[in-house]
Amino acid sequence: MSFAVEAKEVVKVFGAIHALDGLTFNVKRGEIFGLIGPNGAGKTTALRIVSTLLLPTSGTVKVFNLDVVHDADEVRKIITYLPEEAGAYRNLSGWEYLQFMANFNTKNKSEVQEIVREAAEITGLGERLRDKTKTYSKGMKRRLLVARALMTKPKLTALDEPTSGLDVLHAYHVREIIKRYVKEHNVTVLLSSHNMLEVEHLCDRVALLNKGKIVAEGKPKELKEKYESANLEEVFAKVVGLA
Amino acid sequence: MLDLLKGFGNFLLKELKELIRDPKILLAMVIVPLIMFPILGAILNFSMQAAQETATKITVLIINRDGGENSTRFMEYLKASMKVFTVNVSKIEDAVPLLTEYNATEIIEIPETFSQCLAAEENVTIRVYSVFSGAGLFEGAGSSILDGLVEQFNRELAPNLVISAKSAIIKGQIVENVDSRMLGSLMLSQAITMPITIMILLSYSMQIAATSVAMEKEEKTLETLLTLPMDRFAILMGKLSGSIIVAAIGAVAYMAGFNYYMSSFMSTISIGANVDLVSLGLAPSLFGYLLLGLSLFVTLLSALALAVIISAFAEDVRGAQAIVGNIYPLIFIPSLLLMYLDVNALPIALRIFIYAIPFSHPIIAAKAVTMGDNLTAALGVVYVAAFTIIIMYVASRLFATEKILTAKLRFKGLRRRKRVTTEELQ
Ligand SMILES: Nc1ncnc2c1ncn2[C@@H]1O[C@H](COP(=O)(O)OP(=O)(O)O)[C@@H](O)[C@H]1O
Ligand SMILES: [Mg+2]
Repeated sequence: MSFAVEAKEVVKVFGAIHALDGLTFNVKRGEIFGLIGPNGAGKTTALRIVSTLLLPTSGTVKVFNLDVVHDADEVRKIITYLPEEAGAYRNLSGWEYLQFMANFNTKNKSEVQEIVREAAEITGLGERLRDKTKTYSKGMKRRLLVARALMTKPKLTALDEPTSGLDVLHAYHVREIIKRYVKEHNVTVLLSSHNMLEVEHLCDRVALLNKGKIVAEGKPKELKEKYESANLEEVFAKVVGLA
Repeated sequence: MLDLLKGFGNFLLKELKELIRDPKILLAMVIVPLIMFPILGAILNFSMQAAQETATKITVLIINRDGGENSTRFMEYLKASMKVFTVNVSKIEDAVPLLTEYNATEIIEIPETFSQCLAAEENVTIRVYSVFSGAGLFEGAGSSILDGLVEQFNRELAPNLVISAKSAIIKGQIVENVDSRMLGSLMLSQAITMPITIMILLSYSMQIAATSVAMEKEEKTLETLLTLPMDRFAILMGKLSGSIIVAAIGAVAYMAGFNYYMSSFMSTISIGANVDLVSLGLAPSLFGYLLLGLSLFVTLLSALALAVIISAFAEDVRGAQAIVGNIYPLIFIPSLLLMYLDVNALPIALRIFIYAIPFSHPIIAAKAVTMGDNLTAALGVVYVAAFTIIIMYVASRLFATEKILTAKLRFKGLRRRKRVTTEELQ
């Protein structure tokens, strides 16, 4: 069986900046895979290439065997993407936003209703879904957007910093949503985070990214054992030679 | 004492720094006005000059049926202030084709009884025929000058001896007892309404389009849209149609208000109660209306697509609005210019400039179709349509590639490079 995501020697250059510098990693089907690294490491760029938003300067990325450059239209049918720091449409209610998004997936009215109903439940926002999204707190917005990324049961969802900037309660809720959904619906998750501590408990496997390259990859537990560290932050520090 | 203002100076400094360092603001607030106001001044100057020139350059054809001493004196009197040609025709209609030959705008017919009546100090009526061309606010200047001269001539003899009876020549046809100046003021509402409406419609909808694209970028909803299983051209079209609809609603509301405003003072002037523009042939034909609508539509589309392209280079709403503001002079200048002047009265370089700007064409078309010149309007539609297709193509390419996300104004690159070199120096 092929991988959910197969990135080979991906390079992305913006002018003089090498955002990705020969990035190679594989994501297995049905797992939660984390791209971990400091700000500017290239996490967002990598997720944007996987999501067909950016074109790699060189190298290839395949999503369920579909090339993100040549089969972009097909890829878009099986993935969802949550941008970093994303907002919803300010003047739509949360409910309307979910409905708007669900309408891209199916023309069938009752299916749309079913998707939205389920998404509404995942968000846990209850009655607040009737309010305009501009009245939402950051955490509420993120719950809405994570629910929308998962509600259509895509084969792959790419979540860019799904919990960054959230308080403990909202972050916890978002992580629970992700874990539960993967188990129940066999969705593959590729997420990024600069918070190396929280992903230990969320991700099945992680890749540590620094300056556009993978510096270490594996299960959190294995990495900690291999580098004799208490947590992934320490692993990272050892790998890049900070400690 | 100044506790309330503590930190104010510090904050103000930061604000000023931030604003002044933003090249878009600099462009919109400083450079554009610096260019725009001299241009506007030049336009006003030019239109004043043109008005004066039309006043001194009036050419009249005189049909002198009298030949007596007083008629010669009257003609000498006119010759002092305007160009006068005497023509010999039996019917006034025959003089109309001569107008273009002599480049004249008025025909004056002096009756046989002129000298005789003046000698007897009796009233005499001369007939004045003025060409109505729908040129702009200074239409009918010739007719006013003539009035002034007749009045002065009267003053030297006895009051109100010579009376002028006014008629208009519209599209080569004589329309008896219609003062072309009166038509001019009736047409004025049209001459002003169209440019102002277009000005507002275009700038308003560009602002909407730019804001909506920038908002999508700012809130990152654009990125989400671009990963959805939907046609990217549909995103572009959705943006364009959305802004067209909102702008159209705005335009209708605006027109309704403006119409009310115009009619409220038109009725107090109460001119033209007996003048029906449609029966005089001064309203566009059905085809003309179609052309005008088409012209408006393609122009609007090109403006919106342009706004979308431009705002794709901005990172937030404020930036997008500032950049789009730089296009406004291209909308305002033709609108203001064409309110006062006819395109054909402009010097050739300015005329080409005005024709090259797509946003001039609905205004030019409005005048042209009113005067029955559908060809000018149609050519304008073709030109703007070609421009629109190019702009739409660029916009759709922008949406089809990653450019819509990565495009940024050059300024940034320049600044970064500068910083690198200063770092190297240190
Ligand atoms: N559109 C862009 N234009 C120029 N440089 C970019 C662009 N996007 C990202 N970069 C640069 O690429 C590098 C990686 O950025 P990013 O992928 O956002 O990192 P991360 O998400 O890990 O913080 C950074 O140095 C960033 O400045
Ligand atoms: Mg990032």
